[in-house]
Amino acid sequence: MHRWGMVIDLDRCSGCQACMAACHAENNIAIIGPEESAMGRTIHWIELLPFIEGEYPHIKARLLPRPCMHCEHPACIKVCPVGATYANEEGIVGIVYSRCIGCRYCTTACPYTVRSFNWYKPQWPKEMEGSLNRDVSIRGKGVVEKCSFCHHRLLKARERAKAEKRELLSEDYIPACVQACPSNAMYFGDLNDPFSTVSILSRERRAFKLLEDLGTEPKVIYLSEGM
Amino acid sequence: MENPQGLLKETWHFYKKTLMLVFRGSKIYYAWCISLLAMIIVGFIFYWKQHEMGLIETNLTDQVSWGLYIANFTYLVGMAAAAVLLVIPSYIYQFKPIKEIVVLGELFAASSIIMAILFVMVDLGRLDRVWHMIPFVGSMNFPASLLAWDVLVLNGYLLLNLFIPIYLLVKFYYRKEPNWKFILPFILLSIPWAVGIHTVTAFLYNGLAARPFWNASILAPRFLASAFCSGPAIIIIIFQIIRKVSSITLEDKALFKIAELIAYSMFLNLFLLGAEIFKEYYSGTVHMASFKYLFEGLHEHTALVPWIWTAMAMNVTAFFLFLIPSTRKRLSTLNLGCLFVIVGVWIEKGPGFVIPGFVPDPLGEIHEYVPNLLELMVSFGIWATGLLIFTLLMKVAIPIETGEFSHTEYEKEGYTVKRH
Repeated sequence: MHRWGMVIDLDRCSGCQACMAACHAENNIAIIGPEESAMGRTIHWIELLPFIEGEYPHIKARLLPRPCMHCEHPACIKVCPVGATYANEEGIVGIVYSRCIGCRYCTTACPYTVRSFNWYKPQWPKEMEGSLNRDVSIRGKGVVEKCSFCHHRLLKARERAKAEKRELLSEDYIPACVQACPSNAMYFGDLNDPFSTVSILSRERRAFKLLEDLGTEPKVIYLSEGM
Repeated sequence: MENPQGLLKETWHFYKKTLMLVFRGSKIYYAWCISLLAMIIVGFIFYWKQHEMGLIETNLTDQVSWGLYIANFTYLVGMAAAAVLLVIPSYIYQFKPIKEIVVLGELFAASSIIMAILFVMVDLGRLDRVWHMIPFVGSMNFPASLLAWDVLVLNGYLLLNLFIPIYLLVKFYYRKEPNWKFILPFILLSIPWAVGIHTVTAFLYNGLAARPFWNASILAPRFLASAFCSGPAIIIIIFQIIRKVSSITLEDKALFKIAELIAYSMFLNLFLLGAEIFKEYYSGTVHMASFKYLFEGLHEHTALVPWIWTAMAMNVTAFFLFLIPSTRKRLSTLNLGCLFVIVGVWIEKGPGFVIPGFVPDPLGEIHEYVPNLLELMVSFGIWATGLLIFTLLMKVAIPIETGEFSHTEYEKEGYTVKRH
């Protein structure tokens, strides 16, 4: 059984936001204008969080790409009153959009603020409507959405492997953000395989997880930046 | 006992009399009901806009995703739980003045629960899917989700608080002594259940490790203590109104007893708050940020500061008003104290509790939240709905209690039997 995980090397990340752009195109994320954004209603499945390290004059502005952590012990799943959020056997945390009642208990429970609520009906410019990804369902007004590790790509890869009468390989499946990263800062693979790149990197001295003390056990592992 | 025709006639008599009671009243009664109806209609129109356009019509944001609606919900669950304060002395210690009003208190709890449930419903993004949360119809994430627990305990409490007063009223209607062996277990059950609804509601916030402001074990005791202040306070006010506009007689003694209970609860409430403030400020960890935001303001964001200090002043003043026998036993100061408690606790455990949980958010972002007109109007609409339901229930329940409205058999006899 695979256990999908991601490693993000902050030393390699240039903060170019290609991952965000790729994610938006891949996952049919609504175009949010500057007005709604200023009011605090945005939707990003992966986001670059700005933070400041140190104090002036020894100060560094940093950016941290943050997808869903796909926690081993997610806070979001247990709070959902209708069971609209689930973790599949390979550890990917997903949402059944058609079950979500929009109570926003999960957005409140998630320590990583990865969950976005659809405050209004998502809209795209007319020219873009024809170019939406047919593999990803469109979320309506009033439901919560978040990063799925491009789960639809896993389904497709599995179908392909089945058609070719072989086992699914870790290389068959890669999320859009990892694929788009121009500086090779993102790695994706099977954490259950001790020799996979992500496994090896996750054991590095630079490896850390966000808010580890909450016991969520994220499957997104960061490699810290050199000073 | 009766032939079918007689039964039909009797049923017709009941409904006709009920309708007459509801539709006939003084000018003040009409004005009250019509203004409540108007507020309900306005609230509904505003809600419809939110329903069509989405929650973008509110001032809620990604950072503060629960606001006025959930604040009111939390407060009203406490209101409902407080009915238990009347049940304990009246049924267990047979304290007579309160016993006469306990049915009304239970109906008040039922009205509060209806309001609380409505507040959750207007907060949902997809109201059409609310049936997923209906027990046995949908499939809830029980027992993992505390919201699923809340649905079960709130609905259970609603049924209990409708069943007990209706059973008693039916018995009064037929001028029969209630079968205490049958109904007492339900009454006793309602006591732990009341504690349960508020504990579950506290746990709903309490269990979130991501929100340190709520992730404190003192939360459930604090919730109960503050509920046992605000609930009885509003009941004292309502009973004085009922005493004035109906033929029901309520002794001052009952009101003073309830006020005394508020004094104890308010002491506990202030003590628990003090314990929490000490721990946060003395240890001074990063978890203090929300407290700082609430009491002092954080990085020049001070929206809640005047509110919480108003609440603190009101709560402390009310505590002394209820503690000192001379101010407790004077109706003017008693009512002032009640007003302070109702408003003070509303601020403290409504907006003063829900909003700081989101400010700052887990990433440290500070987004302030102030409800907009739509949220206010929808909230007023729901409060009006609850008050209207309670008014109409009272309009029928009180005549039954006093013996003015009963089975035809007894009405013809033209005398009133005093209960007890």
